[in-house]
Amino acid sequence: MKLFLKPSLAILFAATVFMSTSCSDDEDPAPVNEEELITTLKLTMVPQGGGATVTASYRDLDGDGGANPVITGAQLAANKVYDVTVQVLDESKSPAEDITEEVEEEGDEHQFFYVPSGVNLTVAYNDTDRNNRPIGIKTRMTTTTASTGNLKVVLKHQPALKSATSTINTGETDVEVTFPVTIQ
Amino acid sequence: MRNYSNYFVLLLLCVCLPFPAVFAQNGPVPAGADALSDTDCGITLSGTVTDHEDRTPLIGATVLLDGTQLTSVTDANGHYHFHGLCPGTYTLVVSYIGYTTERLQKAVRAPEVLNFRLHPDGLLLHSVEVRAARQRTQITQATGQLNGRELAQTHGQSLAQSLERITGLSSIQTGPSIAKPVIHGMHSNRILVMNNGVRHEAQQWGSEHAPEIDPFVASELTVVKGAAGVRYGADAIGGVILVEPKPLRDSAGTSAVLNLVGVSHNRQGVVSGMVESNPAALPGLSWRLQGTLKKAGNSKTPDYYLANTGYQEQNFSAAAGWTRDQFGVDAYFSRFDTKLGVFSASHVGNLTDIRNALQRERPEPEADFTYTIGVPYQNVTHDLLRLHGFYKTGTASRLLFTYARQYNIREEFDAHGDQSRPGLRFEITTHSSEALWEHPLIWNLKGSFGATYQYQFNRYEGRFFVPFFQSHTGGLFWLEEWEKGKWHVEAGVRYDYRHLQAKLYRKDTPQRTGQSELDNQLLTPTHTWQNLSGTLGVIYHFGPHLDLNLNASTAWRSPTTSELYSNGIHHGTGTYEYGNANLGMERAYNLVATLAYVQNKRLNGEISVYRNYIDNYIYQEPDTVPTLTIRGAFLTARQKQADATFTGLDVSASYQLTDHLLLATKASLVRAYNQTADEYLIWIPSDRYENSLRYSIDKLGARGVFAQNFIQISGLAVARQKNVPDNYLARDYALPPASYFLLNAEAGTTLQLGQQQIEIGLIGRNLLNTAYRDYLNRFRYYADETGRSITLRVSIPLNF
Repeated sequence: MKLFLKPSLAILFAATVFMSTSCSDDEDPAPVNEEELITTLKLTMVPQGGGATVTASYRDLDGDGGANPVITGAQLAANKVYDVTVQVLDESKSPAEDITEEVEEEGDEHQFFYVPSGVNLTVAYNDTDRNNRPIGIKTRMTTTTASTGNLKVVLKHQPALKSATSTINTGETDVEVTFPVTIQ
Repeated sequence: MRNYSNYFVLLLLCVCLPFPAVFAQNGPVPAGADALSDTDCGITLSGTVTDHEDRTPLIGATVLLDGTQLTSVTDANGHYHFHGLCPGTYTLVVSYIGYTTERLQKAVRAPEVLNFRLHPDGLLLHSVEVRAARQRTQITQATGQLNGRELAQTHGQSLAQSLERITGLSSIQTGPSIAKPVIHGMHSNRILVMNNGVRHEAQQWGSEHAPEIDPFVASELTVVKGAAGVRYGADAIGGVILVEPKPLRDSAGTSAVLNLVGVSHNRQGVVSGMVESNPAALPGLSWRLQGTLKKAGNSKTPDYYLANTGYQEQNFSAAAGWTRDQFGVDAYFSRFDTKLGVFSASHVGNLTDIRNALQRERPEPEADFTYTIGVPYQNVTHDLLRLHGFYKTGTASRLLFTYARQYNIREEFDAHGDQSRPGLRFEITTHSSEALWEHPLIWNLKGSFGATYQYQFNRYEGRFFVPFFQSHTGGLFWLEEWEKGKWHVEAGVRYDYRHLQAKLYRKDTPQRTGQSELDNQLLTPTHTWQNLSGTLGVIYHFGPHLDLNLNASTAWRSPTTSELYSNGIHHGTGTYEYGNANLGMERAYNLVATLAYVQNKRLNGEISVYRNYIDNYIYQEPDTVPTLTIRGAFLTARQKQADATFTGLDVSASYQLTDHLLLATKASLVRAYNQTADEYLIWIPSDRYENSLRYSIDKLGARGVFAQNFIQISGLAVARQKNVPDNYLARDYALPPASYFLLNAEAGTTLQLGQQQIEIGLIGRNLLNTAYRDYLNRFRYYADETGRSITLRVSIPLNF
């Protein structure tokens, strides 16, 4: 009992504390951030009655920030009907991950919205979820006269919100991209 | 004995004492308790009672005028006083546990000041603890305290909400479940929370990170308002919050307390229990176990429920100590474990989503009441182990050691993707040690020398937001106090050194190239900062009732890792936050003057004015160009530095209208200005005013079954923040909300059922069910604040 009451020993103990504190963790972060990343939205437009397939894409391979995205617009023919399929991809992984499947599986809480502006284009849904509501992975786009403008594509996550009254303003935005579109 | 000593040798390896220690329960003497005699000849007899050796004031010492019924209990500054005495000869008997009682006969003809210095009684068994318990230095800075019943009335609220009772404090909230304290307009990294003497360390990069502390562990909350860097370390430029548990039991016996709380607006239930013991067979040993269970569902505003705002907490702590005359050691462990729902409507994507949310009258989705917590939610666990000990190096001199390890895990589960694992997981480990020597009294100087060291390591899994880092921080400080007559002077100086190394891949920095070879290169930037902090303060006692405190302090803060390196989208605020690796340290110069008029029969009050000048104040400035992503546009925010000033005023006053009626008022105002840009800073608390009327009566009912009864009604007015920059909407999504008024009420009683006491409190908040939004709530874009809420709390002390 007497022994450890000596002040010199107390100081020694204190020194031990300070020493034990100065340990060091030399761990490196994992090189891959494990997160769900959407890098690419691709529209594949197949004209009915033959003709060249048109592809439009928005690619931001390094994710948010950093290098600017690469946007490829669409040149469509006048007075045509196109069968359009949208794909959402993670191209930062190899092979690229197709996130569209996930959207389709959770179709009752996701919806794509297509908003043309300045361009003579109408968009109709061509698929449904399990509640018979549109998803918008497959659509039919109809062009009329020559014009130039934009097509905004928005994917909304609407958990427990998707209904007959839900709109583009409902829920959280998963994807929002705008393509230049020319009809000639 | 032999077995125990072996065990405690291990404990002593890394130990220390609760430095700001624990305070005696006696608060200021209520006006009604002032000593009054039948005939009033107007003579005042007053003075202070201090320790003979180290001159610290003895709080709660009894001064008796022998042969009369008159007694006075010393206040927080050791003052006692008798009013309205008639000329004559009085015998003063001054007693305090652990000290030799003193008697003094004095012929009194005119107002007289008599000071007593009591000698410690070495024969009394627990004198060491008693002296530790009243070790309380007078601080020249503005402070505020919450203890006893006033603290108990806050049970069921978070730490930050509880502290709002102190003038000059407010809280920054993220929905109903998350609140952080704000002192004089400053929060987060500019405030330190000292939990049981240990600097609380957790993830501090967001307003949605509330301090991970169970308020039930505290028997007293003290706030130091102003730069307190010298004692508590660099970073404390805005202030310090001290969360102090009760000291371990120092008299033989076993006791327990059971607390039950129910809250109406979120149907919250809380059970908190504590049991402590000091076995008669082993008088040196004391232990305590404490635990809290809390569960709340969706909060209700006046018009709707807030979806996914429930939370749960499971906390416990255990403490044991061994104290002898010459030394003492103790160990403390606490775990705080919470699961917090994040308000569904705040889970927005890009700027368009936020604008949509602002347009809505009611948040979407609509919700009913439920205790179920869905995604998104946070899981946070915080462990604290503290070992501490002291060794006496003289009659009034001690060596103290503390070692603490904190381990904090924060998991954030997203509404997206794989919900079985968190989208973001942080682990931060902090080791800290402190050695302190309280030197013997020389030339009327009482002071201490200290050394601190802290090591911290942070890692994460999931998406990038804040990098891996490790930091080493060392500090040396020296504090002295000098007291003579009406003067009390405090001075201190501190040196700190901080080394930080971050580890991150180039792809996670704004310098990302898009070429995978370069982007996958691991960068290890390092930073070193060192600087001095200082404080100089004076208290002048004009008399037993009037004190003037003046303090000038300077402290500094190095930028945090998040301010340097954060890079990513901050969900809930729709902001893409960029760190700035070139930030320098910020330095605060703080001036505060406090005039306190206390211990009077009717009017009491305190007025405090302050000016805080901050050189290179670090703040987030929104960029006019939004960050474009595949999810649309996000507000861009960058870290910048400017010179800023925080100027303000805290006032509190009370007037005893009758023996039973007390009128009280509080006001706090702060103006924060960016001197470089010549405009006000945003997100600063607006002016707050509070008035209350309290009716108290000690005994009611047959044989006084109801004791210490009170009922209080109060009104809180919070003004609209008008002191904002022009072009406000370029920096924030919505203008500051309108001013609001809340009507609150409280009542309490102590029920005596035979030998058993039961303390009951009833608190009503927002009784008029006012729909309002608060400027400092980050979710004010989405929903109203909570509506009418009634809290019932019961506290049952048990003695075995």
